[in-house]
Amino acid sequence: MTNIISNLNKAFDSRIRLGIMSVLMVNDAVDFNNLKELLELTDGNLASHIKALESFNYIESKKQFIGKKPNTSYVITELGQQSFKQHLNALEKLIT
Amino acid sequence: MEKQLEDLKAIREMMEKSSKFLSLSGKSGIGAGTCATIGATVAYFYIFHQPRTVAVQLLILDAVIVLFIAVSLGIYFSYQKSKNRNEKFVSKVLIKILYNLFLPLFAGGLLSIILIHRDQIEIVAGLTLIFYGLALINTSKYTYEEIHFLGITEIILGFFAVIFLNYGIIFWTLGFGICHILYGIVMYFKYDLKNK
Repeated sequence: MTNIISNLNKAFDSRIRLGIMSVLMVNDAVDFNNLKELLELTDGNLASHIKALESFNYIESKKQFIGKKPNTSYVITELGQQSFKQHLNALEKLIT
Repeated sequence: MEKQLEDLKAIREMMEKSSKFLSLSGKSGIGAGTCATIGATVAYFYIFHQPRTVAVQLLILDAVIVLFIAVSLGIYFSYQKSKNRNEKFVSKVLIKILYNLFLPLFAGGLLSIILIHRDQIEIVAGLTLIFYGLALINTSKYTYEEIHFLGITEIILGFFAVIFLNYGIIFWTLGFGICHILYGIVMYFKYDLKNK
Protein backbone atom coordinates (compact mmCIF):
# COMPACT_ATOMS: atom_id res chain seq x y z
CA MET A 1 0.00 0.00 0.00
CA THR A 2 2.75 2.46 0.92
CA ASN A 3 4.28 1.65 -2.41
CA ILE A 4 1.20 2.77 -4.31
CA ILE A 5 0.81 5.95 -2.33
CA SER A 6 4.39 6.94 -3.03
CA ASN A 7 3.51 6.88 -6.73
CA LEU A 8 1.11 9.75 -6.20
CA ASN A 9 2.83 12.91 -7.27
CA LYS A 10 2.89 15.69 -4.68
CA ALA A 11 3.07 18.26 -7.47
CA PHE A 12 -0.46 17.31 -8.48
CA ASP A 13 -1.88 17.54 -5.01
CA SER A 14 -4.08 20.53 -5.84
CA ARG A 15 -7.27 20.31 -7.87
CA ILE A 16 -6.23 23.37 -9.86
CA ARG A 17 -2.97 21.77 -11.00
CA LEU A 18 -4.85 18.62 -11.94
CA GLY A 19 -7.14 20.83 -14.00
CA ILE A 20 -4.29 22.57 -15.80
CA MET A 21 -2.59 19.26 -16.58
CA SER A 22 -5.88 17.68 -17.77
CA VAL A 23 -6.54 20.51 -20.19
CA LEU A 24 -3.00 20.43 -21.58
CA MET A 25 -3.04 16.63 -21.93
CA VAL A 26 -5.83 16.77 -24.51
CA ASN A 27 -5.07 20.11 -26.23
CA ASP A 28 -1.99 21.11 -28.22
CA ALA A 29 -1.54 24.57 -26.77
CA VAL A 30 -3.86 26.61 -24.59
CA ASP A 31 -3.44 30.29 -23.81
CA PHE A 32 -3.68 31.90 -20.40
CA ASN A 33 -7.14 33.41 -20.83
CA ASN A 34 -8.58 30.19 -22.15
CA LEU A 35 -7.22 28.27 -19.18
CA LYS A 36 -8.59 30.90 -16.85
CA GLU A 37 -12.07 30.57 -18.34
CA LEU A 38 -12.04 26.78 -18.42
CA LEU A 39 -10.91 26.43 -14.82
CA GLU A 40 -12.86 29.46 -13.60
CA LEU A 41 -9.92 31.01 -11.79
CA THR A 42 -8.52 34.46 -11.08
CA ASP A 43 -5.34 35.68 -12.79
CA GLY A 44 -3.18 35.45 -9.70
CA ASN A 45 -4.39 32.04 -8.66
CA LEU A 46 -3.81 30.52 -12.08
CA ALA A 47 -0.42 32.22 -12.47
CA SER A 48 0.94 30.83 -9.23
CA HIS A 49 -0.01 27.25 -10.11
CA ILE A 50 1.37 27.62 -13.62
CA LYS A 51 4.61 28.84 -12.14
CA ALA A 52 4.80 25.81 -9.89
CA LEU A 53 4.17 23.38 -12.74
CA GLU A 54 6.74 25.20 -14.87
CA SER A 55 9.32 24.87 -12.10
CA PHE A 56 8.85 21.08 -12.23
CA ASN A 57 9.31 21.27 -16.01
CA TYR A 58 5.90 19.70 -16.49
CA ILE A 59 4.64 22.50 -18.69
CA GLU A 60 6.26 25.13 -20.92
CA SER A 61 5.17 28.58 -21.90
CA LYS A 62 5.33 29.90 -25.42
CA LYS A 63 5.22 33.64 -25.87
CA GLN A 64 4.10 35.13 -29.14
CA PHE A 65 2.43 38.21 -30.50
CA ILE A 66 -1.06 38.21 -31.94
CA GLY A 67 -1.06 41.51 -33.78
CA LYS A 68 0.49 43.82 -31.22
CA LYS A 69 -0.80 41.98 -28.17
CA PRO A 70 1.53 39.60 -26.36
CA ASN A 71 0.00 36.20 -25.88
CA THR A 72 1.26 33.41 -23.67
CA SER A 73 0.19 29.85 -24.31
CA TYR A 74 1.15 26.69 -22.52
CA VAL A 75 2.05 23.20 -23.65
CA ILE A 76 2.70 20.04 -21.69
CA THR A 77 6.24 18.64 -21.76
CA GLU A 78 7.26 15.02 -22.34
CA LEU A 79 8.15 14.78 -18.65
CA GLY A 80 4.80 16.34 -17.72
CA GLN A 81 2.89 13.75 -19.75
CA GLN A 82 4.77 10.85 -18.20
CA SER A 83 4.39 12.18 -14.67
CA PHE A 84 0.71 12.88 -15.12
CA LYS A 85 0.05 9.42 -16.55
CA GLN A 86 1.90 7.88 -13.62
CA HIS A 87 -0.20 9.94 -11.24
CA LEU A 88 -3.41 8.84 -12.99
CA ASN A 89 -2.40 5.19 -12.77
CA ALA A 90 -1.63 5.56 -9.10
CA LEU A 91 -5.03 7.19 -8.51
CA GLU A 92 -6.79 4.39 -10.36
CA LYS A 93 -4.96 1.69 -8.43
CA LEU A 94 -5.92 3.32 -5.17
CA ILE A 95 -9.63 3.22 -5.85
CA THR A 96 -9.79 -0.34 -7.19
CA MET B 1 -10.38 7.03 -1.34
CA GLU B 2 -13.05 9.72 -1.66
CA LYS B 3 -10.51 12.33 -2.68
CA GLN B 4 -8.91 10.10 -5.31
CA LEU B 5 -12.30 9.34 -6.82
CA GLU B 6 -13.19 13.02 -6.88
CA ASP B 7 -9.80 13.82 -8.44
CA LEU B 8 -10.32 11.32 -11.25
CA LYS B 9 -13.81 12.67 -11.89
CA ALA B 10 -12.49 16.24 -12.05
CA ILE B 11 -9.73 15.21 -14.46
CA ARG B 12 -12.14 13.44 -16.75
CA GLU B 13 -14.57 16.35 -16.74
CA MET B 14 -11.87 18.89 -17.48
CA MET B 15 -10.44 16.81 -20.34
CA GLU B 16 -13.88 16.54 -21.94
CA LYS B 17 -14.89 20.11 -21.31
CA SER B 18 -11.70 21.52 -22.81
CA SER B 19 -11.58 19.35 -25.91
CA LYS B 20 -15.18 18.48 -26.76
CA PHE B 21 -18.30 20.35 -27.73
CA LEU B 22 -20.94 18.69 -25.57
CA SER B 23 -23.72 21.19 -26.16
CA LEU B 24 -24.74 19.47 -29.37
CA SER B 25 -28.41 18.79 -28.70
CA GLY B 26 -30.39 15.72 -29.67
CA LYS B 27 -33.17 18.12 -30.63
CA SER B 28 -30.83 19.54 -33.31
CA GLY B 29 -30.80 16.14 -34.98
CA ILE B 30 -34.54 15.67 -34.69
CA GLY B 31 -35.15 19.16 -36.15
CA ALA B 32 -32.73 18.70 -39.04
CA GLY B 33 -34.08 15.25 -39.82
CA THR B 34 -37.67 16.47 -39.85
CA CYS B 35 -36.74 19.31 -42.23
CA ALA B 36 -34.95 16.93 -44.57
CA THR B 37 -37.88 14.51 -44.59
CA ILE B 38 -40.35 17.28 -45.43
CA GLY B 39 -38.02 18.60 -48.16
CA ALA B 40 -37.63 15.13 -49.67
CA THR B 41 -41.38 14.51 -49.56
CA VAL B 42 -42.00 17.74 -51.47
CA ALA B 43 -39.38 16.69 -54.01
CA TYR B 44 -40.78 13.20 -54.45
CA PHE B 45 -44.46 14.05 -54.73
CA TYR B 46 -44.28 17.44 -56.45
CA ILE B 47 -40.92 18.42 -57.96
CA PHE B 48 -40.24 15.06 -59.64
CA HIS B 49 -43.43 15.45 -61.67
CA GLN B 50 -42.28 18.72 -63.27
CA PRO B 51 -40.41 18.97 -66.58
CA ARG B 52 -36.69 18.31 -66.09
CA THR B 53 -35.30 21.85 -66.39
CA VAL B 54 -37.89 23.25 -63.97
CA ALA B 55 -37.43 20.27 -61.65
CA VAL B 56 -33.68 20.82 -61.39
CA GLN B 57 -34.17 24.46 -60.41
CA LEU B 58 -36.91 23.63 -57.91
CA LEU B 59 -34.77 20.85 -56.44
CA ILE B 60 -31.89 23.25 -55.81
CA LEU B 61 -34.26 25.77 -54.21
CA ASP B 62 -35.77 22.99 -52.08
CA ALA B 63 -32.30 21.85 -50.97
CA VAL B 64 -31.15 25.37 -50.09
CA ILE B 65 -34.28 26.04 -48.00
CA VAL B 66 -33.97 22.69 -46.20
CA LEU B 67 -30.27 23.28 -45.50
CA PHE B 68 -30.93 26.77 -44.16
CA ILE B 69 -33.75 25.73 -41.81
CA ALA B 70 -31.95 22.57 -40.67
CA VAL B 71 -28.75 24.45 -39.81
CA SER B 72 -30.71 27.23 -38.07
CA LEU B 73 -32.62 24.70 -35.94
CA GLY B 74 -29.38 22.86 -35.18
CA ILE B 75 -27.68 26.03 -33.99
CA TYR B 76 -30.75 27.18 -32.03
CA PHE B 77 -31.20 23.95 -30.04
CA SER B 78 -27.48 23.63 -29.32
CA TYR B 79 -27.32 27.26 -28.22
CA GLN B 80 -30.21 26.56 -25.85
CA LYS B 81 -28.45 23.52 -24.44
CA SER B 82 -25.22 25.43 -23.89
CA LYS B 83 -27.21 28.04 -21.96
CA ASN B 84 -28.81 25.35 -19.83
CA ARG B 85 -25.40 23.85 -19.16
CA ASN B 86 -24.08 27.30 -18.28
CA GLU B 87 -21.37 27.06 -20.88
CA LYS B 88 -20.05 29.47 -23.43
CA PHE B 89 -21.50 28.59 -26.83
CA VAL B 90 -18.72 29.98 -28.99
CA SER B 91 -15.47 28.39 -27.90
CA LYS B 92 -12.23 27.26 -29.49
CA VAL B 93 -13.67 23.77 -29.78
CA LEU B 94 -16.76 24.99 -31.65
CA ILE B 95 -14.56 26.82 -34.14
CA LYS B 96 -12.52 23.64 -34.69
CA ILE B 97 -15.75 21.71 -35.23
CA LEU B 98 -17.10 24.18 -37.76
CA TYR B 99 -13.80 24.19 -39.66
CA ASN B 100 -13.61 20.40 -39.79
CA LEU B 101 -17.29 20.08 -40.69
CA PHE B 102 -17.47 22.66 -43.43
CA LEU B 103 -14.24 21.83 -45.24
CA PRO B 104 -15.52 18.47 -46.61
CA LEU B 105 -19.03 19.89 -46.98
CA PHE B 106 -17.73 22.75 -49.07
CA ALA B 107 -15.82 20.35 -51.33
CA GLY B 108 -18.91 18.15 -51.69
CA GLY B 109 -21.13 21.14 -52.38
CA LEU B 110 -18.83 22.45 -55.07
CA LEU B 111 -18.64 19.04 -56.73
CA SER B 112 -22.43 18.80 -56.63
CA ILE B 113 -22.83 22.17 -58.33
CA ILE B 114 -20.42 21.12 -61.08
CA LEU B 115 -22.29 17.86 -61.64
CA ILE B 116 -25.65 19.59 -61.74
CA HIS B 117 -24.25 21.92 -64.42
CA ARG B 118 -23.19 18.85 -66.39
CA ASP B 119 -26.72 17.54 -66.10
CA GLN B 120 -25.83 14.66 -63.82
CA ILE B 121 -28.07 15.53 -60.90
CA GLU B 122 -28.98 11.87 -60.26
CA ILE B 123 -25.61 11.15 -58.70
CA VAL B 124 -25.74 14.17 -56.38
CA ALA B 125 -27.98 12.56 -53.72
CA GLY B 126 -25.37 9.88 -53.05
CA LEU B 127 -22.44 12.29 -53.19
CA THR B 128 -23.96 14.67 -50.66
CA LEU B 129 -24.48 11.71 -48.30
CA ILE B 130 -20.88 10.54 -48.70
CA PHE B 131 -19.35 13.99 -48.20
CA TYR B 132 -21.64 14.66 -45.24
CA GLY B 133 -20.58 11.35 -43.70
CA LEU B 134 -16.90 12.24 -44.16
CA ALA B 135 -17.54 15.65 -42.60
CA LEU B 136 -19.19 14.02 -39.56
CA ILE B 137 -16.32 11.56 -39.08
CA ASN B 138 -13.89 14.45 -39.35
CA THR B 139 -15.80 16.31 -36.64
CA SER B 140 -16.60 13.45 -34.31
CA LYS B 141 -13.37 13.63 -32.33
CA TYR B 142 -14.50 16.99 -30.97
CA THR B 143 -17.95 15.90 -29.81
CA TYR B 144 -19.97 12.81 -28.88
CA GLU B 145 -18.56 9.58 -30.33
CA GLU B 146 -21.96 8.59 -31.76
CA ILE B 147 -21.37 11.17 -34.49
CA HIS B 148 -18.60 8.94 -35.83
CA PHE B 149 -21.05 6.08 -36.40
CA LEU B 150 -23.66 8.41 -37.85
CA GLY B 151 -20.95 9.43 -40.34
CA ILE B 152 -20.25 5.83 -41.33
CA THR B 153 -23.99 5.18 -41.75
CA GLU B 154 -24.30 8.20 -44.06
CA ILE B 155 -21.39 7.02 -46.22
CA ILE B 156 -22.87 3.53 -46.61
CA LEU B 157 -26.26 4.98 -47.55
CA GLY B 158 -24.46 7.30 -49.98
CA PHE B 159 -22.94 4.36 -51.81
CA PHE B 160 -26.32 2.65 -52.01
CA ALA B 161 -27.75 5.86 -53.44
CA VAL B 162 -25.08 5.92 -56.14
CA ILE B 163 -25.43 2.21 -56.96
CA PHE B 164 -29.23 2.26 -57.10
CA LEU B 165 -29.48 5.62 -58.85
CA ASN B 166 -33.26 5.48 -59.32
CA TYR B 167 -33.80 5.17 -55.59
CA GLY B 168 -31.38 8.00 -54.70
CA ILE B 169 -34.11 10.05 -53.05
CA ILE B 170 -35.10 7.11 -50.80
CA PHE B 171 -31.55 6.68 -49.48
CA TRP B 172 -31.18 10.46 -49.19
CA THR B 173 -34.33 10.59 -47.04
CA LEU B 174 -33.08 7.68 -44.94
CA GLY B 175 -29.70 9.35 -44.42
CA PHE B 176 -30.59 12.99 -43.88
CA GLY B 177 -34.09 12.46 -42.52
CA ILE B 178 -34.63 9.20 -40.65
CA CYS B 179 -31.04 8.72 -39.40
CA HIS B 180 -30.92 12.26 -38.00
CA ILE B 181 -34.23 11.78 -36.23
CA LEU B 182 -33.23 8.38 -34.79
CA TYR B 183 -29.78 9.55 -33.67
CA GLY B 184 -31.36 12.74 -32.33
CA ILE B 185 -33.84 10.81 -30.19
CA VAL B 186 -31.13 8.47 -28.86
CA MET B 187 -28.80 11.38 -28.06
CA TYR B 188 -31.64 13.31 -26.45
CA PHE B 189 -32.42 10.52 -24.02
CA LYS B 190 -28.78 9.58 -23.47
CA TYR B 191 -27.30 13.04 -22.88
CA ASP B 192 -29.78 15.91 -22.86
CA LEU B 193 -32.22 14.56 -20.28
CA LYS B 194 -29.37 13.60 -17.98
CA ASN B 195 -28.09 17.18 -17.96
CA LYS B 196 -31.34 18.69 -16.81
